[in-house]
Amino acid sequence: MADDKDVLRDVWFGRIPTCFTLNQDEVTEREAEPYYLLLPRVSYLTLVTDKVKKHFLKVMRSEDVEEMWFEYEGTPLKWHYPIGVLFDLHASNTVLPWNITVHFKSFPDQDLLHCPSNSIIEAHFMSSIKEADALKHKSQVVNDMQKKDHKQLWMGLQNDKFDQFWAMNRKLMEYPTEEGGFRYIPFRIYQTMSDRPFIQKLFRPVSPEGNTLTLGDLLKEMYPTAITNDGEQKRYQVVIHGIEPLLETPLQWLSEHLSHPDNFLHICVIPTPTD
Amino acid sequence: MFNKMSCPALDEPGFHACCQLLLQQSEQLGDGWSWLELGGGPGEEGSEVGYLKKTVLRSVAVDSNPVQTQEASGSETEQTSILQPEAQDTGEPASLNADDLNDYIKDEDAVCTAVDINSQVLQYEYHILYSCSYSTPVLYFRAFTMEGRSLTLQEVWSSIHPNYRLCLQNSPLTTITQQEHPLLGQPFFMLHPCKTEEFMRPLLQASHDQPRPVNYVLSWLSVVGPVVGLDIPLKYCTLLHPASSLSSAEPD
Repeated sequence: MADDKDVLRDVWFGRIPTCFTLNQDEVTEREAEPYYLLLPRVSYLTLVTDKVKKHFLKVMRSEDVEEMWFEYEGTPLKWHYPIGVLFDLHASNTVLPWNITVHFKSFPDQDLLHCPSNSIIEAHFMSSIKEADALKHKSQVVNDMQKKDHKQLWMGLQNDKFDQFWAMNRKLMEYPTEEGGFRYIPFRIYQTMSDRPFIQKLFRPVSPEGNTLTLGDLLKEMYPTAITNDGEQKRYQVVIHGIEPLLETPLQWLSEHLSHPDNFLHICVIPTPTD
Repeated sequence: MFNKMSCPALDEPGFHACCQLLLQQSEQLGDGWSWLELGGGPGEEGSEVGYLKKTVLRSVAVDSNPVQTQEASGSETEQTSILQPEAQDTGEPASLNADDLNDYIKDEDAVCTAVDINSQVLQYEYHILYSCSYSTPVLYFRAFTMEGRSLTLQEVWSSIHPNYRLCLQNSPLTTITQQEHPLLGQPFFMLHPCKTEEFMRPLLQASHDQPRPVNYVLSWLSVVGPVVGLDIPLKYCTLLHPASSLSSAEPD
């Protein structure tokens, strides 16, 4: 479907205007100006913030600088979630730009993974792709790829090269026509209402009777309270890439078009704004 | 549980059954495993998930000096330097066996050397979770000093027995990484499960050819546990064998 290629581009080039401010408690030699950046939704915070780091290091002494980390309204931001997921989960329905606070000390060991180098992000990204392929194709596609193919996926993301990434990623999106979809859909449902970070289980895109399963079917089984019943007031929004897809949308289509580059469909369930 | 022997994968009910059996035996042996269930949040009604947990105190020979230098470097090359630690640095103390120790004790000077080795008591917390993506159990763990500071990846590497360290380095896909605990949302270390099915296959095949009860989780744990300092008492095995089925394991 040629027209659906536009969806892939729209997803890839989604940006969030962000204002980075240095945490007030950091010791600086002069006042630190905020730094503005358009963040790619599909990338990772620690991968696209070299400039932010450089900007703030100009006003700091090197002995006051430890590992950089980010926080939004008191919540440490997990760099290993895609940026778009962090925004949808924590900052949907707020005024732009997204105000992120930058820290250079007191790294929250109990909340965040360390990210000493880009190779850690690469390992995390490739590990997600492998897990997704274990679900979709019993790891067959990713195991048939060569090392340079894996590198192409990573370099595509790192350098924001849509064509380079998708030339390889389309192989991960193939499936036997007669089966009507992947073996299982790689998905994660995030919410902030309990300590459990996300729900991830086995779910097929087609029912045993051969019916196409939808986003609504998935939620009904995994997170029934997210669905608004007839006559009820809507309590939750189901958000993917900043939009609320129709619950009738086939899951297989969503997996092929609205997955992040890590090949997972990241779904955020957030309370409907009350105002 | 393992009826489909052509495909020795572990499904989630199978995982739970193995865990229950392991718990029973652990109780008999006083091995300290417990089952933790996660309280369902909103929308999680009926989706009970849990994991096996064990906490142990271990005296570990951590050579803190090379770790400090590695931490200070903090550059792109850091990761490679962790993966190739100087084996001789931490190797010597950790590879002592009982005979060596006796020799050392006879020699007064050597005893002093042994005391110099930074042997630290650490608290290890091991969790066994089920991965539905790989249809295997996964071992998560974290370690704290007695002051409550959590160990870094570098320190975890340096506390691993050099023989295992070498094995892990030669097989990068089963390496230790820091990952988010999928149920608690906190940073843990993890032995990656993507090779688990591969190394479990011959074992399950063997138990199929010569039928005897095999607890997948226990067998798997006896392979991966010792790598990160978690020893599985042999008694689990002797407890398991007199029993004719998995559900009726009794001590003899």
